[in-house]
Amino acid sequence: MVIDSARCFDCKACIIACQIANGVPPGSYRNWIKGATVGDFGKMHFQPGNCMHCENPTCVKACPTGATYRDERDGTVKVNDGLCINCGSCIPACPYGARYRHPEKKVVDKCNFCEEHRARDESPACVQVCPTRARIFGNILDPASDIAHLLKTNKTVKVINQTTDTKPNISFITETAPMDWPVEAKSPAYFDLWRKIVGPLVKGFVGIAGLGVLVMLGKQLLISDQPPASEHKKSKEDLHG
Amino acid sequence: MGKKMIKRHTAVSIFMHWFNAVCWFFLLATGVGLIRNSDLDPIGGWWPSMIRGIFGGGENLLLAHVICGSIWIAVFLVFAVVRLRKEVRFFIREIFTFSPVNDIRWIIKKGIQMTMGYKMLERLGFEPKIPEQGFYNVGQKLFAIPAMLGSIVIAATGIIMYSSKFMMMDPVVVQWSVLVHFVMSGVVFAGLLIHIYMASIATGELPALLSMFTGTVPEEYAEHHHKYWYDKINGNSKGCFNRR
Repeated sequence: MVIDSARCFDCKACIIACQIANGVPPGSYRNWIKGATVGDFGKMHFQPGNCMHCENPTCVKACPTGATYRDERDGTVKVNDGLCINCGSCIPACPYGARYRHPEKKVVDKCNFCEEHRARDESPACVQVCPTRARIFGNILDPASDIAHLLKTNKTVKVINQTTDTKPNISFITETAPMDWPVEAKSPAYFDLWRKIVGPLVKGFVGIAGLGVLVMLGKQLLISDQPPASEHKKSKEDLHG
Repeated sequence: MGKKMIKRHTAVSIFMHWFNAVCWFFLLATGVGLIRNSDLDPIGGWWPSMIRGIFGGGENLLLAHVICGSIWIAVFLVFAVVRLRKEVRFFIREIFTFSPVNDIRWIIKKGIQMTMGYKMLERLGFEPKIPEQGFYNVGQKLFAIPAMLGSIVIAATGIIMYSSKFMMMDPVVVQWSVLVHFVMSGVVFAGLLIHIYMASIATGELPALLSMFTGTVPEEYAEHHHKYWYDKINGNSKGCFNRR
């Protein structure tokens, strides 16, 4: 997706169209319009946005089950509702705040570039309704597409968090504002503990148990160890005595 | 030899043991397959890929895991209620009853004997006789306790995780449930490896393995391995487990 944010006048049609098309409940959003004052006279500049469908999605790395994944066929980042346990690990892992927990579906929800629309060869809802065509959608990988031409003939910028460059796939024509709103991608505390300490500990614990059993088995096969005769005698005596 | 056999396990106990074994292996195989994250998967990404292929996708795998887990929990709940007086109370009382001095001696001597042999035991100045034990030896108890408490924790955290798909819960609770579920499964599995070795492969344990099918052990075995239990059922039968 390419966005010409200079054309946006904050009508919010894209937000409402998205909510209707995707059953996004009131108060939750898959897309947004950010605002900033630019220049000496305090002119407003509006910047539409949604999930950047990053090349290096930190949200995917934060998901324990693989419910969030990058679909290599079209490059979109998706959520498998059946596999998502609504744990929300991915939410702080997105620098753009593009994810939320859906209160009715009870899964994490996000922009999927209107998969159903695209299956019918239509543009995503937000693109269709934009009165000024600030949102431009197409396949950036196809060099013959309009969007590829647009990217080639215009200077574009990306909105990136300096500490976490997730390689976003939305470009803004010429320049845009605000630029400093994405936050650092964070993984939840339990995830870091699991990755750094608990995971290796559990693996080590099971490994030692398994190794111990294998060594015992080997020893048992190689060396026969009978209790000394004295013990046999003693137990016999006990039995009768 | 026409040995006299002593009743050790009821048919229900035997059923529960093998039912649990089948559930555990299925839940372990599917559970490890549910962790798809290169930072977290304990044995690498090949297992989740393979098992998801078999089940036709991660969502079906999760469903299979949840169905098996639900059956496992339900059957154990029914068992705990219906058979409380028959097996459950006895089991709990037995596994939590220790005789510290004797048990520590058992752990030390059995440990030396199993790893270094009877000869080493004698060389170190110990009597070769392993201390007497009750219905369960202390090694069995030390597996039974984490197995039972771990199972309860695993079941509870599993319920929390799946409930999160039906009601909005604090994400922190769900997240920590995932970790605790994983850790307890690992702990129980480590114990299970030792249990399988000790109960089915280790020398001299064949009667115990057979008793998990027949329910009975030879008198000689009972006396040698579980003297206090043997004495109890032979002397006064008060509070004994030997029912027919």
